[in-house]
Amino acid sequence: MGELFRRIVYLLNRRRVDAEIESDMEFHREMAARAGRNNFGNTLRMREQAREAWGWTWLDRLIQDLSFTVRTLSRSKGFTVTAVLVLAIGIGVNVAAFSLFNMVALEPLPVRDPGSLVRIERRSPQNYTSEMPYTSAVFYGQHAKTLSAMIAVLGVPPMQIDDDIQPTSASFATPNYFAELGSPAGYGRLFDPAREGSANALPVVVISYSLWQHRFNGDPGILGQTIRLNKKPATVIGVTPYTFASLGGQTPDIWIPMAQQPYFVTGSTILTDPSAGSVRMWGRLAPGVTAKVAAQELLSLTNELRRQHPKDIWDNEYIDIHPGGHLQVMQPEMYRVAGMVALLTLLILSVACANLGGLLLARAVTREREIGIRMAIGATRARIFRQLCTESLVLAMLGATAGMGLSYVCLRVALSRLPVPGWLSATPDWRVLLFTFGIAMVAALMFGFAPALQIARQRQRKTIIRQILIAAQVAASCVLLIVAGLLVRATQHVLYTDPGFAYESLLSVDPQLGHYNYSPAAARAYLDKMQERLRGLPGVQSVSLVRLPPLGHAISRMDEEINGHPVPVYPNWVTPDLFKTMEIPIRLGRTFYPGEKNAVIVSEAMARKEWPGQNPVGQLLPNGDGKDTVVGVAGDAHVNAVNDDDAVEQYWPAQTDDMPDMTVMVRSSGDPGGLPPMIKSISESLDPALFPEIREMKILYRDNVLQMVETIAETVTMIGLIAVLVAAVGIIGLVSFSVSQRLKEIAIRMALGAGKREVLTAVLRQFAWPVGIGLITGTGLALAASTLLRKILFGVSNLDPLGYTGAILVLMGIIVLAGLLPARRALRLDLAKTLHYE
Amino acid sequence: MPMSDMPKSGMPSGALPMLILRVLQSGSLHGYAIAQRIHVLSSQVLGVEEGLLYPTLQKMLVKGWVTAEWGVSETNRKVRFYRLTTAGRKHLKAELNDYDRVTQAIQDILRTA
Repeated sequence: MGELFRRIVYLLNRRRVDAEIESDMEFHREMAARAGRNNFGNTLRMREQAREAWGWTWLDRLIQDLSFTVRTLSRSKGFTVTAVLVLAIGIGVNVAAFSLFNMVALEPLPVRDPGSLVRIERRSPQNYTSEMPYTSAVFYGQHAKTLSAMIAVLGVPPMQIDDDIQPTSASFATPNYFAELGSPAGYGRLFDPAREGSANALPVVVISYSLWQHRFNGDPGILGQTIRLNKKPATVIGVTPYTFASLGGQTPDIWIPMAQQPYFVTGSTILTDPSAGSVRMWGRLAPGVTAKVAAQELLSLTNELRRQHPKDIWDNEYIDIHPGGHLQVMQPEMYRVAGMVALLTLLILSVACANLGGLLLARAVTREREIGIRMAIGATRARIFRQLCTESLVLAMLGATAGMGLSYVCLRVALSRLPVPGWLSATPDWRVLLFTFGIAMVAALMFGFAPALQIARQRQRKTIIRQILIAAQVAASCVLLIVAGLLVRATQHVLYTDPGFAYESLLSVDPQLGHYNYSPAAARAYLDKMQERLRGLPGVQSVSLVRLPPLGHAISRMDEEINGHPVPVYPNWVTPDLFKTMEIPIRLGRTFYPGEKNAVIVSEAMARKEWPGQNPVGQLLPNGDGKDTVVGVAGDAHVNAVNDDDAVEQYWPAQTDDMPDMTVMVRSSGDPGGLPPMIKSISESLDPALFPEIREMKILYRDNVLQMVETIAETVTMIGLIAVLVAAVGIIGLVSFSVSQRLKEIAIRMALGAGKREVLTAVLRQFAWPVGIGLITGTGLALAASTLLRKILFGVSNLDPLGYTGAILVLMGIIVLAGLLPARRALRLDLAKTLHYE
Repeated sequence: MPMSDMPKSGMPSGALPMLILRVLQSGSLHGYAIAQRIHVLSSQVLGVEEGLLYPTLQKMLVKGWVTAEWGVSETNRKVRFYRLTTAGRKHLKAELNDYDRVTQAIQDILRTA
């Protein structure tokens, strides 16, 4: 029977034990009295001391403090509601941000043993790619003893089901995909490694739950049905469950066994070509193996691969292993974004806390009498301090509960409006609960500690702490408002900035010749014919070729240093007419001649950065091999970097070797909606095995860029508004309190004949210093923050004068309002009443 | 001379639990009897105040060295008797050993220094 057990038994029977103690001591006194001794000790005190032995006094005090807190808070409902609201916003924002992070990066996928799933990627000091050749994946899978399974997924352009106009997303996956994840079938069966592993097996597909519901109306006869995928017949064997959790958040509607890729894409050599980086690889660590050990083994296998295919392995290449059992495999860049968001939300919390701290101090003045009485009848400072801390904790807990509710509602709404996997839920899990508890503690410390200390020492009337609070509040609000302002400006910028090319009436046609193993010459012949036929279509104005079409599946980016500044350079390979097709103006010089080599066209921004004040035409490009002459300067067009304002472009003449990778761009004179069927029939007649991906730029731009930008703008504006609101509430509260404290002084001054102006200046002057210091510190911090922000969000300029002045003006307005409102009240004072008060 | 007039020495701190344990070794006693016994056995040198005795007894209950049960006092009153437990016996032995060693050491110093 342990000590703790006895203590708990006591706690459950304390009334009885207390009675026993009392009886013992009573008996002792009786006996002492008989012996002629009188003991005049304080019986109550002695009984308490005896009880203290059991070590539960803290609990008694806590219960006392709690019940007292509940009474105090329920007596001042206005204060409580304000405090809980301010905290709910401050904590809720943090909880919502953490919940999102938790969903994406912490919560394990609902699959079998998510802990041992790893994402496997190629890296070298210079290079990184998320995809690797299928042959390498197979090699690693076969030889690595530290991996118990290898899973590979090959994403492909959307495929056509039967004669659908809208293509459907599809992926090829190794046949162990579903078995390794332990996913049951929603209907029918999923891949069976034994049956779907061979290229000679019957072509089969598994479809997603949503495709089954929407395309096939939930038809129970879907199993065994034959559909044509890009004209190739295949049998549907099953449907994934509604709550299916896939790797890496990829949720295609059609899953096809990897071995059948050559059947669906005629002539493709992706499965056998060691230089084609094309599949995403996952692995399962063998039992007891750590990622480090596996990475070591994979490194030696990489070296083995280099011996076999020296060309295809980078220098110093190694294999990067990340935990793969989450919705997102976190890359270092994503952690930076997460850190930035965390900083912003913590800032909101600290503003909220500074506000609340001010409110608490203000309240302490009205509670002076109560606290004074408690001290007078023997409460120690420590006890008062503890009582005040209990109040803060209770407020923080109430705020946290409200904040968690707020976050839950917001997340639910967001999840229901976004295309997310069915298994994701907004219900907080233990991590979110723990985080909420932690952040509530932090909040309680931030808003409650300093005021409690001041109040317990009866120093709440000291102005210095209040002035520090005001300065801190102004500074934090300032950072918040400026950052929010910068974000709003950045999103506006993206929203209203011309991408530099006319995306209306523009179509891209990607025949993916490379995937079908076209040789450069064959590709050139095909594309020539295709362009010729397209030019003959009614309504087509211009046709040309580009290697990296806007909003395409791939971009190329080089980070170069131009005149000492790092500049992201986006190269592209084009045919001479592209500038006409995309309506990118040629500002200087000319476009390429057909078949021209060693020529380059640069964007205006690049010309400005590279050759300031000179004529770029005729210059040699310094970073190339020294043979490339600038023949023209094109207008800035963010073809590949839609929202990167710093980006500059380089256009190179496409050579025959580039042909298998080229995409056809088509400009029509009117609405291009009628063109796709005609383009399809042209492609059909040129090579029936091909299924060009036809994309309308206007729709793509709307879906990808505008929607995202609008969502960001909405969120940011929301955060900004919250910031203004929280800042305003706090500052108004604090200033009006400070003024109301000096009512008597104001009244005396006025009684002695001071003018309204003098009184007003006297009242407001005390805030000049803290506000000034706050503004300067805040602006400095915001500068630092925006430099960080710039690295993540393009289009944020760190010295956007409008953003800064706007934010500072708004803040000043709030402060002046906050000062004037109570001051006005002071000026209309009933002098006699004020002076007679107390 | 009434007892209350006797000059009473303060209890050396930490010694009381050991004394209580020792006194209880010969059988269970109620609180007052414990105080009496200590007082008498110390030739009326050591007095145990009520304000010290009961908290100490409670501490010993927490530690599990003693248990208490109801009994009837010599004045026919229902009162609780404290009894030594096995853990208490063990603790007393350890305490006594410790005490002996320390006093021996102190005496050695006093004698030789």
